[in-house]
Amino acid sequence: MTPANLILRGIPASPGIVIGRARVISDTGEVQNSFRLVYTEEERLAELERFRLAVEQAEEDLLRVKEEVSQEFPEHVHLFELQLMILKDQMFHKDTLRLIKENNLNAEWALYQSFEKVKNLFSRIQDPYIRGRVQDVDAVYRRLLGNLSGWAPQRYLSSSEPIIIVARDLSPAETTQMASSRVLGFVTERGTKTSHTAILAQSLEIPAVVGLDNATRQIANGTNLILDGLTGRVVLEPGDRLLTTYQTRKQEFETFKSEVGRSSELPAITLDQFATQVLANLELPEEVQLALKYGADGVGLYRTEFIYLRQRQLPTEEELFEDYRRVVVAMQPKPVTIRTLDLGGDKFLSHLEYAPEMNPALGLRAIRFCLREQGIFRTQLKAILRASAYGRVRVMFPLISSVREVWEGRELLQSVQEELTKEGHPFDPQLPVGVMIEVPAAVTLAPLLAREADFFSIGTNDLIQYALAIDRGNKQVADMYQPLHPAVLRMITLAVEAARQAGIPIAMCGEMAGDYLYVPILLGLGLNELSMNAMAIPVIKHVIRRLTLREVREMTLQVLEMPTVEEINDFVFGQMQQRFPEIYRFGSALVGTS
Amino acid sequence: MIVRQHHLEHVEKELWVENRLGIHARPAMKIATTARQYDAEINLEKDGAQADARDLLAILTLDCPQGTRLVLKARGPEAREAVQALSRLFASKFEEI
Repeated sequence: MTPANLILRGIPASPGIVIGRARVISDTGEVQNSFRLVYTEEERLAELERFRLAVEQAEEDLLRVKEEVSQEFPEHVHLFELQLMILKDQMFHKDTLRLIKENNLNAEWALYQSFEKVKNLFSRIQDPYIRGRVQDVDAVYRRLLGNLSGWAPQRYLSSSEPIIIVARDLSPAETTQMASSRVLGFVTERGTKTSHTAILAQSLEIPAVVGLDNATRQIANGTNLILDGLTGRVVLEPGDRLLTTYQTRKQEFETFKSEVGRSSELPAITLDQFATQVLANLELPEEVQLALKYGADGVGLYRTEFIYLRQRQLPTEEELFEDYRRVVVAMQPKPVTIRTLDLGGDKFLSHLEYAPEMNPALGLRAIRFCLREQGIFRTQLKAILRASAYGRVRVMFPLISSVREVWEGRELLQSVQEELTKEGHPFDPQLPVGVMIEVPAAVTLAPLLAREADFFSIGTNDLIQYALAIDRGNKQVADMYQPLHPAVLRMITLAVEAARQAGIPIAMCGEMAGDYLYVPILLGLGLNELSMNAMAIPVIKHVIRRLTLREVREMTLQVLEMPTVEEINDFVFGQMQQRFPEIYRFGSALVGTS
Repeated sequence: MIVRQHHLEHVEKELWVENRLGIHARPAMKIATTARQYDAEINLEKDGAQADARDLLAILTLDCPQGTRLVLKARGPEAREAVQALSRLFASKFEEI
């Protein structure tokens, strides 16, 4: 008997609170593979028949699940189509049959051997994305093995009452399957916040706790559970008091969530009618759909490195143009801000001969690298300009530390424009050119840079690192990385003031911009645009729509007088907690895994 | 395209993997599904390694990221049609980017 109110802790992976009975899923992958040799023709035929039935059952189950999923989540149907194909695949299926027939193996052992063979082939694949598909082969293998050993083949769907799944691990396909069933949530022993299963659970809105050690041994089948996907807590056999507490919390969270959801489509305007723009950061062209879904006013930072890192050869102008055009067309008439290549020479393409750098953060990277490798830069600028014919495009240069760099960037842009005119490609001749404020030198030069730029965009991740001389990846000093540090706030003030004097807009596109706790200060400092991970947009808009410019200015003036970051943090977080208790409690759960 | 007329038609063609993510699950499914529609023996060859174009796992484990060069070899009554269909599929980048 489980003691009442036992609380286990795991990693919160998908937000929400659910209350229900545990359904502990045994791991069929651990079924003891009985090894047996079959000697007679009769036995052999019996093994072949058992295997045929197991496959038939699996096919039937997968087809049914696929049908159910296709109603609600058509974007995940291919996961089941894939498993159906694997089921009948020659390498897997025919090989198993052959092993039964020719090597006199029993069905389980034959299946195991062909699975091992396929797994081995996958392990030699270099491409991590393709290699990862072994997960699906594994899921099919476990399903077949379960069928052979007579274990309940449809582990999740045959529940007449709402249940919470407890398992060692779940595949993405199994997770998808839950969305169309009566599963309330799930707990797994494996997994992290960024695993495929966790991300899928977020998108399907199934509350989940992962990384809870020994969950399948600590939680007995049928145990009453509270699963808190906000904190990672799992309560076993909760008493009345805890049940009431969590029911209230669940209600509050759900109300908050639906309110925030409504904010995404509304403009980011303060109560006293001050308008701000809330934009999305993108890494892949596909993510533009997320930006639109969460109500972005545009793209404030389109990172363009992925295509350079992903493939062995340099991308062509056409490939870049296609990517950019897709995003621009989808966002139209909203603006898309494209940041030019922000990579270092050392980890760049292997055929460019750059020695590894001792200190890459201070090395040949971003605009410095682009101005050195002008061929690469020109190709990108051409692609950006060509995309500008299809909507509203802005370009910005990263890591600017001198006025000369802006001149050189603009000169190249000019010469590329002439080339495009000759080639007959249309483009926007007024393409706005922005300077990223990421280096302390750019802050001190802001009044001079503002004369050369059409807009500023503060990249806080780098600015904070350089201003405070803190490497966030270094555990010894990571806690000294403080966005509200007075030095950082003063730098932002200087950049905003320079932009204001020159009459150009100023945006912020670092992580700081997507943190709802900083919203009042950022508005108070006078930023015109905030750009962030798309999922954070609704929460940020929700906060902005509940503030007045007057109060945030007042708060900011007070903060700028404070000498230490500790005092500032206490003040700002205290104010937020008081003003928006529900945002303070739940806000972080709704901004997603970035 | 090299076409040799024997009792069975044998067609060969060079193909390039152009989509960004390479031949991952979905492209492999499309290749296998397409290949299965034709009465021909169809193989994909990469640096000497071969995969039956009807076999999903064989295609996947051939390990073809973007930029891979493949030789498509088909033999059978519908070899020519199969090669045409698969070439179109590769040229469309499997309807990806």
